[in-house]
Amino acid sequence: MEVFIQTLVAGILIGGVYALIGLGMTLIMGVMRIINLAHGQLMMVAMYITFLLYEYLGLDPYYALLIAPPALFVLGVAIQKYLLNPLLEVDSIIPQNQILMTVGIGMVLTETMRFIFHSDYKSVKTSYSSATFMIGSICWNVPMVVAFGLAVLLTACLFLFLLKTDTGKSVRATAQNKDAALIMGINAEWITQLTYGLGAAMAAAGGTLLLPIYYLFPDVGAPFTLKAFIITVLGGMGSTVGAILGGLVLGVAESLGATYISMALKDAVGMVIFVLVLLFLPGGLKTLTKV
Amino acid sequence: MEKYLRCVLFLTLSLLLLLPAAAFCQGSQGSIKVGIILPATGEKAKFGEIEKKSFEMALEEINAAGGVNGKKLEFLYEDDTGRPDVARSAAEKLITQDQVAMLGGGYGSSETFAIAGVAQQNRVPFLVNTGSDNKITEMKWNYIFRLNQPVSDYPQGLESFMTDIVKPKTVAILYENTNFGSSGSKEFQETCKKMNLKVVLNEGYQSGGIDFKPILVKVKQENPDIVYMISYLMDASLIMKQSMELRLTPKMFVGGGAGFTLPEFAQNAGKAANMVFSATLWYQTLPYPGAKEYYDKFVARNKMPTEYHGAEAYSSAYVIADALKRAKSTSPDDVRESLAGTDLMTVFGPVKFIAYENMTNQNKLPTYLVQWIDGKLELVWPKQTASKPYVYPVDWEKAWK
Repeated sequence: MEVFIQTLVAGILIGGVYALIGLGMTLIMGVMRIINLAHGQLMMVAMYITFLLYEYLGLDPYYALLIAPPALFVLGVAIQKYLLNPLLEVDSIIPQNQILMTVGIGMVLTETMRFIFHSDYKSVKTSYSSATFMIGSICWNVPMVVAFGLAVLLTACLFLFLLKTDTGKSVRATAQNKDAALIMGINAEWITQLTYGLGAAMAAAGGTLLLPIYYLFPDVGAPFTLKAFIITVLGGMGSTVGAILGGLVLGVAESLGATYISMALKDAVGMVIFVLVLLFLPGGLKTLTKV
Repeated sequence: MEKYLRCVLFLTLSLLLLLPAAAFCQGSQGSIKVGIILPATGEKAKFGEIEKKSFEMALEEINAAGGVNGKKLEFLYEDDTGRPDVARSAAEKLITQDQVAMLGGGYGSSETFAIAGVAQQNRVPFLVNTGSDNKITEMKWNYIFRLNQPVSDYPQGLESFMTDIVKPKTVAILYENTNFGSSGSKEFQETCKKMNLKVVLNEGYQSGGIDFKPILVKVKQENPDIVYMISYLMDASLIMKQSMELRLTPKMFVGGGAGFTLPEFAQNAGKAANMVFSATLWYQTLPYPGAKEYYDKFVARNKMPTEYHGAEAYSSAYVIADALKRAKSTSPDDVRESLAGTDLMTVFGPVKFIAYENMTNQNKLPTYLVQWIDGKLELVWPKQTASKPYVYPVDWEKAWK
């Protein structure tokens, strides 16, 4: 029983961070109808920013939450404005050339970081990196709990933004029907830039929260792109509520799989769920929530 | 007159065309090319970097001392990115396009195995210096030679330490689910059987995980005397950090080489690295001629410490040069024959390719036990070569403070 609860706790905590990263991709998916395959790489860039701030200015990784996500927001807006939107005007054989572009952007980001920082592994060692507290016999890792808490908070902020502000409503309108939104006078181009920026900032926040627990090297992004992709599909391709559920489901499934099946098959467990959802619940988890 | 001018023009032009070609021929005749395949990018790039720097250092020394019978030795590096399929095509490119005399390098076991397959198929000799899965030299491939100890020999040094000092009863094994990890785990289980140890847990994991607590909780429940881990660098750091968080306190934490001996392990794991033991294949204070000099020179040159991977690469370069020197020609068959007759003392130890257990063309060397003592990696076993006395039993609360 103790093992079960510990596993569940670990799964939910990491699931919260997964959800945050997945939300960013889902948002982009919802508005632009493209899978952002540079998502993990954007997160990696944010992790490097956080790392640099910590290493050279001694800034605590949590304060970097005020710097790395805004920086990535700007980078995201620039990518959408100068690299992705121009592609819409070009005729191409396949309509998905924006997706291919994101793959290229991801590679460029990875190799640029490798050029600057080499392939060295970096990690941030704060005083609380390995701090834990016990409730009963269950071990809670402090940075993990903080990461989960902040992820929930940031997600709540995003929802507030989407539901209560005019700009947020414009984003949702564009996601629901782009042509109608255009007719209603919404500046769709600016909305796409804003959305990509927001998505990048969410990934950045996830990366910054992970850094005290995990480590960093130029190739760290790719597995997270895959995770975010799974979450997006699990959630139902563009549903934000679905993405949160998807993140938690993925975290818990990985954790339970590691304990009760084999940790060697941890990633396989995620993929099996992915396939099952596609087969039996093609609309994703959002069909269960009716939101 | 015009005809004469035209003739001169033609001659000059053809000479001009021929000159660079002639110069080029000279260049390639004057050097012997050897292909070296290492991970330069990807997750294993860190190890590749240490090895490449060591190869380069050795190459400079070899060429400064006259090269190979007056000809310059040249290393052509290819990046395997830590993926077997890339390693395979890198080997194919070096063999068919660059027509190298032989191949060297080979870091990860899976990549090395892929390269070895290509080398054997094309009948080009390949000297492995790091890939340690037993199966690489168990295929009866006569073109494949291995300088380093196979993974089954890694725990040799540990074995005598366990029988003499620790006398454990139970063991838990955690391993990365790759060729290297699962082969290492299988061999260590054999060792345990031989020593009458009970393996209470044997768990593989996928490299790159964030949270190892699920398996660590399982280990904690079993409360084994020894936790044996076969992991690369960052998994190793995270496993130790999270073991500390969970207050998992066996008598000994032992790493099976690879990640646990790198300086980055201590940097990343911090105090959680303290008092961790690891099997190792080499240490700079070993009484081999040039071992300490190699270490000092590397540190002075690159401003970073080196460890056994670097020594393997450095020695491999010398073995390659030695084999090429003795070879009748640079044709693969002559090089193969001369490699088979290698009997050379290197900084990594004596190199001689023999057949033992199921392996062929395998160099046989002892392995050692090192321990992280207050931020420094010290050779602690066997006693007669130790650089510092071992710390055992370990007071974990004190070590982790």
